[in-house]
Amino acid sequence: MSVTLDLSSVSAHYGTTKVLEELSLSVKAGELVSLLGASGCGKTTTLRLVAGFLSPSGGTIRLGGEDLTRKPAHARNIGIVFQNYALFPHLTVEENVAFGLKQRRVEPAARRERALAMLERVGLAEFADRHPAALSGGQKQRVALARALVIDPPLLMFDEPLSNLDAKLRVDMRVEIRRLQQANNTTALYVTHDQEEAFSISDRVAIMNAGRIMQLDAPEVLYSRPANPFVARFVGFENLVRMRVAERMGETVLAEAEGGGRLHLSQQALGPIPDAFVLAARPEGLTVARQGEGIAARLGLRTYLGRAYQYRCETSAGELIANGPLSQPFEPGETVVLTPSLEQCCVLEG
Amino acid sequence: MATRIHPLLVAFAALVFFFLVGPLVIIVGAALSDTSFLTFPPQGLTLHWFSNIFEISAFRETMTTSFLLAFLGTSLSLLVGIPAAYALHRHRVTLPTWLSTVFVLPVLIPEIVFGFSLMKSATAAAGLPIFASLLIGHALLVLPYCVRVVSASLAAFDFSVEEAAVSLGSPPLKTFFTVVLPNIRAGAIAAFILAFITSLNDVSVSLFLTGPGISTLPIQLLAHMEQFFDPTIAAVSVLLMAVTVAVMAVVEATLGLSFLTK
Amino acid sequence: MTRRWLGWALAAPATIAVAIFLVAPVLATFATTFGGPKGAFAAYAAFFGSGFRRTVLYRTTEVALITTAISVFVGFITAYVVSRVRGKAKSILIIAAVFPLLTGVVVRSFAWLVILGKNGILNTALLDLGLVSEPLSMLYTEGSVIVAMVYLFVPLMILTSVGVLEGIPDDLIQASTSLGASPAATFRQVVFPLAMPGIIVGAVLVFTGSFTSYATPQLLGGERQMMMGTFLYQRAMVTFDWVGASTVAVIMTVVTIAIVLLMSRIARRLNPAAV
Repeated sequence: MSVTLDLSSVSAHYGTTKVLEELSLSVKAGELVSLLGASGCGKTTTLRLVAGFLSPSGGTIRLGGEDLTRKPAHARNIGIVFQNYALFPHLTVEENVAFGLKQRRVEPAARRERALAMLERVGLAEFADRHPAALSGGQKQRVALARALVIDPPLLMFDEPLSNLDAKLRVDMRVEIRRLQQANNTTALYVTHDQEEAFSISDRVAIMNAGRIMQLDAPEVLYSRPANPFVARFVGFENLVRMRVAERMGETVLAEAEGGGRLHLSQQALGPIPDAFVLAARPEGLTVARQGEGIAARLGLRTYLGRAYQYRCETSAGELIANGPLSQPFEPGETVVLTPSLEQCCVLEG
Repeated sequence: MATRIHPLLVAFAALVFFFLVGPLVIIVGAALSDTSFLTFPPQGLTLHWFSNIFEISAFRETMTTSFLLAFLGTSLSLLVGIPAAYALHRHRVTLPTWLSTVFVLPVLIPEIVFGFSLMKSATAAAGLPIFASLLIGHALLVLPYCVRVVSASLAAFDFSVEEAAVSLGSPPLKTFFTVVLPNIRAGAIAAFILAFITSLNDVSVSLFLTGPGISTLPIQLLAHMEQFFDPTIAAVSVLLMAVTVAVMAVVEATLGLSFLTK
Repeated sequence: MTRRWLGWALAAPATIAVAIFLVAPVLATFATTFGGPKGAFAAYAAFFGSGFRRTVLYRTTEVALITTAISVFVGFITAYVVSRVRGKAKSILIIAAVFPLLTGVVVRSFAWLVILGKNGILNTALLDLGLVSEPLSMLYTEGSVIVAMVYLFVPLMILTSVGVLEGIPDDLIQASTSLGASPAATFRQVVFPLAMPGIIVGAVLVFTGSFTSYATPQLLGGERQMMMGTFLYQRAMVTFDWVGASTVAVIMTVVTIAIVLLMSRIARRLNPAAV
């Protein structure tokens, strides 16, 4: 049975510093939502509020319609996977997994059976009698996952669960987490600072900054259609150029960049374009050419990326970053034109 | 974490702290009392007993001895302790592991046994002067503190900084004084202070090593208490507590008091 | 920098000082007690043959055990409260525990002389309240020694335990809570077992400290409550029986080292995290 998690207008303070401002968030039943952002953005605070380790200074938290806000942490029935695993070092792997069942007064025999079955599911049955100190990082994280899952919580929460693992293991583990979460159809809240991780594992991702959600959408939407400059920069649109429409010609508009340069933009490719807007482009969305329509630039430092060259470009709209083909290297100091390729660009409200 | 503590536990802890602080408050009160016997709360207030300390030559002399002993003993201990602690960290690979145990030994041997044994060997058998034996006793008494506290700051020191200095052309000995020592200064100061107060308050080691003409303040206090029972003792105690306050201020300023819970 | 002799040279002065002035004299003390005309173990036969000396050893052990039990209980619970407090209140509590610890043994024992004496503060208060009709003799009893020793060692136990408790990661407490353990269950099943090795270390410090103490039994126990420390002094400096004194010294040292080794082994076994 899956339930929804609803945060409405939740605020939090540490002393006099505001860390969360009227944050509202809904996680649908069975959905996995990630909170993504740099450290200090409030994502971990949000998780701790839901867990009950912190009390909000305002707002309500509901799980399956039930108000959790005043409920003590140990009565909330939420499975949490911690960044540092937080396995009890004095207990064996099996005792760790059975810990939550013991608190729920499950009989020892049933406890053991369910713990072992869960360990079987994460592939660690033969480690049941070991202590956590004897396990590798990946194994510890599996135990932590088993421990959180075995109590059949209506909500699972993950606090940067993979940040202590190496790159290969991280990919394997996130697939496993996703598989188990979907198999149980458990609602889940996942905190991470790793964009690839968040995008690969989540149904929806909330990008956070300074205690607020900047955008909450499916990864595909965030990646191609960011709603504001913050999110655009976050997902890799490193070039933001202020523009103004000079002339509308049906589907196509002629726009002028701040500081010079004219471009024809198709609303078919970019969606409706307002009179004043910001054109966001990834480095691979700006092509370097000797001539043509675009923004005039002087090339600076060139770096080799393997699949392309990347150039720092001085333009009248500030420094822009553009990619150029390997087959046609340009030299620093050359004067060129930067042309946006529209499938790697998007239009933001100015 | 916003965990609430059970009110009964809080009440218990409050009682314990009352038990810890109360007796010391009583001593302060007794030292200020205008009576010739020890009492609390003080009847009238006077500073007479403090000036009386300096009227009694035994207190004057032993106080000088104690401070001198604490200063010299601690300095001596740091002088041999800092290089030893440094060697244990920097040359860990080439030194046997039992060597670090050597500096734990003074903790394993009861102080009173150490004092008694040193008296037999140094004072009685080898005929060392009393002050020399006391100095040796105190230096060794505080050696474990010195090595341990200095080690703690060395453990936090990144030795690649020292290698950087050497690679930039600084000779090893100079590097130690200009790069390593400034970085473990807080630890060395804390070690000095803790060792100093330990030495100043010591009874068990000094007990056997004091002799005719030379005694330490705590030993003199013990002897005085057995004969007299006047507020002068309380006044001396308050004076010693004032030293403790000064010590805590220095520890707080150098390492922070949280150091003491490690 | 990796020259082998340099490390040795730096460690040598301290090592030699310990060897000459600590190890050698203590070994000499040990040597004094064996041999002699009446057989190798005559000194120990004499010690354990004397009812009075057995009583001293028994009393010392008893006082040290009771002191340890009370100090550990009181100190650990207080430390638990201190470790849960935050901010300025916590600093004040730590200072209140450190201050007595840094104050000398003589001063701290003296305070109890003032409190428990015949004309002391406690008797005055009891008389004023009419609870007793004549002053109680509380000094020079096992009880007075134990009270003063507990006073001596509770701060040590508090500070050791606070260190241990703060070393337990917050994560573990939160994990336990999230799995449904109430604060009391978390304390029993997580905090206490994890603190156990540290508690044992503290207990060993208290036991060996009280077992070998001198000033407190001297001031509050006197001749009537002779303990190992005071007995050692009396043998050595009053009756000049150095073999007898050395025997006491050896027993104290052996008990201390045995307790330290035994308990640190137990503490290590209780700590699977350090495997």
